[in-house]
Amino acid sequence: MSDDGAGAGDDGAGGAGDGADEGVPTDGESTRDALAERRGLGDPVYAPAEDSGLLAEAGVDRARGVVLEVGTGSGWVAERVRAAGAADRVLGSDLNPHACRAARERGAEAVRADLLDPFAADSLDAILFNPPYLPTDPDNEWDDWQEAALSGGESGRDLIEPFLDDAARPLRPDGLVLLLVSSLTGFPEVVEYAVSQGFDAETVAEESYPYETLSVLALTPRSDGA
Amino acid sequence: MKESLLDIICCPLDKHDLELTVEERDEEDGEIVEGLLVCTDCGEEYPIEEGIPNLLPPDMRE
Repeated sequence: MSDDGAGAGDDGAGGAGDGADEGVPTDGESTRDALAERRGLGDPVYAPAEDSGLLAEAGVDRARGVVLEVGTGSGWVAERVRAAGAADRVLGSDLNPHACRAARERGAEAVRADLLDPFAADSLDAILFNPPYLPTDPDNEWDDWQEAALSGGESGRDLIEPFLDDAARPLRPDGLVLLLVSSLTGFPEVVEYAVSQGFDAETVAEESYPYETLSVLALTPRSDGA
Repeated sequence: MKESLLDIICCPLDKHDLELTVEERDEEDGEIVEGLLVCTDCGEEYPIEEGIPNLLPPDMRE
């Protein structure tokens, strides 16, 4: 699958690439390889991982009413939120048709969609999103569903920013966004962007892993309407 | 797809309401298995297949 000759599957611990001989990979490519290995490439649907667990926990605790998980993948997070029973209904959307089918199997109301495009104004009480966030070299992309599930473009924020641009529209005024953010994506940059789009931001969960720190940001529309 | 989803979804292009045409319903739970959603403003059509509405704009469908 990979044509970069870096041997993604050798020993798992930062396989010796060209010149990158530190133990911990820091550039986008080797980090991506390490994460991809941990998560199992080849499946057309993103399998639940640590980030999913963190987001599911926050969703179970805080998501109420009509809940949408954007980019639901396998539908595992949506299923957890639904199983907890505190939400009225749980929707899962994805660009990937395989993911939509998987999410429906797990009991989410599946919608094939690009981010929030087909969701009506003031229709959602909570929106959960574990975005594709790995910074990716544009010359070294996989161009398949697994890449679509992982890659956040050069900055890692290619999907996060358009999502935040539109998030206030389908969200009810007292609604809530739960956004999974990795340190690889640039946590302060994401917070700053969310604030610039009229949200208050609060970190409600955080866990550190060898290559990244994962946080869940709770975003609420600022009442001054800025 | 549950019929009540119509309160939550809209045309991805212009955000207007969608009109539902049912081709097949699940006999047990009444969900729409096959059908069509048509934008009440621009007329764009979005298929419902295997119970899943495909609300991608036409240029993103394949």
